[in-house]
Amino acid sequence: MMLNSIMYSKWAQYMFIGVSAPGKPKLTSCRSPEKETFTCWWEPGEDGGLPTTYALYYHLENSETVYECPDYKTAGNNSCFFNKNDTSLWVNYNITVVATNALGKNISEPVEVDVAYIVQPNTPENVTAVVVDEDQGPFVRVSWEKPRTADTRSGWITLLYQLRVKQQKDKEWEEYNAGMQKYYNVFSLHPDTEFMVQVRCKPDHGFWSEWTQTTYIKMPDYIPRQRSLWIIITIFSVFIVLILTWTLNVKRNSVKLCLLPPVPGPKIKGFDKQLLKSGKTEEVFNSLVIQGFPPTIDYDDLLVEYLEVYDNEEQELVLDGKDLSEDCIKSKSPSDCDSGRGSCDSRTLLLEKCMVGRKGSGSDQHQYSQHGETSWASTESSECQGLEPGSPESSDGRVKTWPVVFSSPQPHHHYQAETVKPVYHSVPEILNHSSPHIMPTNYHHLHHQDIPQQEGRHGKPACRHSQSYNHFNLDGLNTPAPGVSPSRSLEYVEVQRVNPENMLLLRPLSDPNREPEGSDYAGEDYSKVKEVTSNNILLLRRDTSHHCVDDYSQASQCTTQQPPHPCKPVIYQSNSGMPQEGMRVMGNGYVDSTVLMPSY
Amino acid sequence: MSLTLCSPTLCLYFSLSLGLSLWAVAVLLVALLCLDPHSRVSSAPICTHGPSGCHVPSLADLFDRVIQHSARMHSLSNDLHSEFEQYFLPSKNSIGKIYRKCHTSSILTPNGKENAQKLAREELTEVILKLLMAWRDPLFQLHQSMAHQQDFNSFSSNKALEMGDMTHELRKGVEKVAEKMRVLGMLGNSVTGLSPAETMLPISDSGEAMSNYELLYCFRRDSNKVQNYLKILKCRIIPEHDC
Repeated sequence: MMLNSIMYSKWAQYMFIGVSAPGKPKLTSCRSPEKETFTCWWEPGEDGGLPTTYALYYHLENSETVYECPDYKTAGNNSCFFNKNDTSLWVNYNITVVATNALGKNISEPVEVDVAYIVQPNTPENVTAVVVDEDQGPFVRVSWEKPRTADTRSGWITLLYQLRVKQQKDKEWEEYNAGMQKYYNVFSLHPDTEFMVQVRCKPDHGFWSEWTQTTYIKMPDYIPRQRSLWIIITIFSVFIVLILTWTLNVKRNSVKLCLLPPVPGPKIKGFDKQLLKSGKTEEVFNSLVIQGFPPTIDYDDLLVEYLEVYDNEEQELVLDGKDLSEDCIKSKSPSDCDSGRGSCDSRTLLLEKCMVGRKGSGSDQHQYSQHGETSWASTESSECQGLEPGSPESSDGRVKTWPVVFSSPQPHHHYQAETVKPVYHSVPEILNHSSPHIMPTNYHHLHHQDIPQQEGRHGKPACRHSQSYNHFNLDGLNTPAPGVSPSRSLEYVEVQRVNPENMLLLRPLSDPNREPEGSDYAGEDYSKVKEVTSNNILLLRRDTSHHCVDDYSQASQCTTQQPPHPCKPVIYQSNSGMPQEGMRVMGNGYVDSTVLMPSY
Repeated sequence: MSLTLCSPTLCLYFSLSLGLSLWAVAVLLVALLCLDPHSRVSSAPICTHGPSGCHVPSLADLFDRVIQHSARMHSLSNDLHSEFEQYFLPSKNSIGKIYRKCHTSSILTPNGKENAQKLAREELTEVILKLLMAWRDPLFQLHQSMAHQQDFNSFSSNKALEMGDMTHELRKGVEKVAEKMRVLGMLGNSVTGLSPAETMLPISDSGEAMSNYELLYCFRRDSNKVQNYLKILKCRIIPEHDC
């Protein structure tokens, strides 16, 4: 009775609490870590308020024998562990779990399991990350070991590894497949940062293991150097430079022309670049100066009237010559002032002067002969040393001087009343003369044979003493100009221009090429001829003093080397083969040059 | 001064120089690559004039090739099987799943690592060869039935065909390996050739031919077995770092 009541009370107790049979359990998963054993886990259902026991039963395929789980404890709660003896591969396991409690039991759904396909290895072990420093930059070498349980040595299981890396702040992991090897080199990590590394593995047919615990590694600070790229860039640029240099070298002329265009040089006649470079500006500009240009006119001289002074004494002295004396006498008729007296006057004056020029018109600085009168005046008093017209070369070697008078157009009218008329004198043959004395510098010794042109202009009869003069000239000449016929007519010449060598280029007035000069005959310039070159070019000397001063340009030099003495006039011979020239210089080498006289 | 800095001839020269330098850089790059020892790829000459100048593959190479082949075969079978399951069977663990015994179940195969390691090399090799032999005809049948049925796309039937060819190739390869081992003295003479009686037709108990799915299911398992056995054999004969 007592017992029945106890049982009844217990049953009633259960009934009042509200218990039931257990709920249906559920097998969650079965896994094998090394393909030799495996474990199954289940999930219990509602337990129904009563203590429930679970049992796992299985049977193999094509077999009816039911076995119970051999081990409920090893794998923990709600698990069943199958050891090696109980594990068969390539065989289907039919597994069920039964939950049992006081009120009933419940059976789970069966699960078919083939152990070969449920392999999930353990995590790899001993993950180490090391920074390796190399030339190309440091990198991280991650190494690990296989899970202890997996038997890869016998080839029973083959594991594939995988690792992942990220920085602390990154969200995404960077995954790398390492294959079957147990190490991996990670490159291109940011310097001076900390990285997290994890590794996992998988069998060739199976499930991935869990990730290992995080391994931390810190990258050092470094500067990335990409050496191969720099080598390539260097070689490339060297190639480019070499080829460009070669190209420029080949084309250097055109490049030079392109970059440095030729500077146009000065094109001034008479301008010497070398002199300019040497820095002697004076000489450079001096060379530009044309002798006798612009013609400076001593207006004082122009205004000076011509005066003919006749002195009996002088006349006697002078008139030694035969013809000349006659002419001179003739010309000296005071009544005939206008008739060519000017030209002849010059002769007479010359004769009168008896080469008074030896004194030299020291005061005369002008090139032009306007001061001829003054010189006359000054030299009139000088001794006339028996100058024989026939023998211009007197014993003392004086050069006869024929002062020529030029007058400017303006004061020309002044002379109208007088006898002096502007005259162009032909350049006589320059006779070889040696005389210690110099004619007054600016005298041009000329023979004039005929001045037909001037007649009309100047109203002056031509002096027709040419013959006599010719004769006069030729007599007694030591060295007459070879090839020069005595009867050679004299011509008026005109200075065409002054070339850079300081030479007066003369041109005969009878030259048909000559352009009419107009009224420029007024000016008469005197310049002493220094020499005549082979081309019949007269080198004129600019004498500014009695002394032979070497202040000329290049070629002019004193032929005489006695500074206190005046230069010996040198008489040159002109080439006979030049009919055009017809230039002769008489006497001291003075050349009567007709320079274009602008109307000042 | 002319504004055109580049006359036609100068332009020509520049372009020529540019081309030359680019070519030089290309040559440099190629040279750099070639200097890298890891990038070298060597090839074995074809053995046309006998074994003297030939690169005879070693046993390890043969094993590697065979194992790779079996891996490829297994992956193919795996793909086909899962394809089948997706399209033709609603659930994996369906109760109504009926499976019959594979026709190769009569072949005694080790079902564990220790069992496999207990087997001698000759027996293991023989098991492999038996398995491969047993599947020659069924695979051909499988391909035939898959090609005829319109449920399968051409891709699957091609896979089945490829699978059959692979099995054939693999068998040949394993035979060569066995031959080599025999030459090297690793194998005794206990390995006997397969007799034609060994070949079995996949006839189930009920007499019906197995369905395609069952064939695929069985083949997947057997290919896995072959792969495993080969690996064990290799690591037992040639213990390298791979094992």
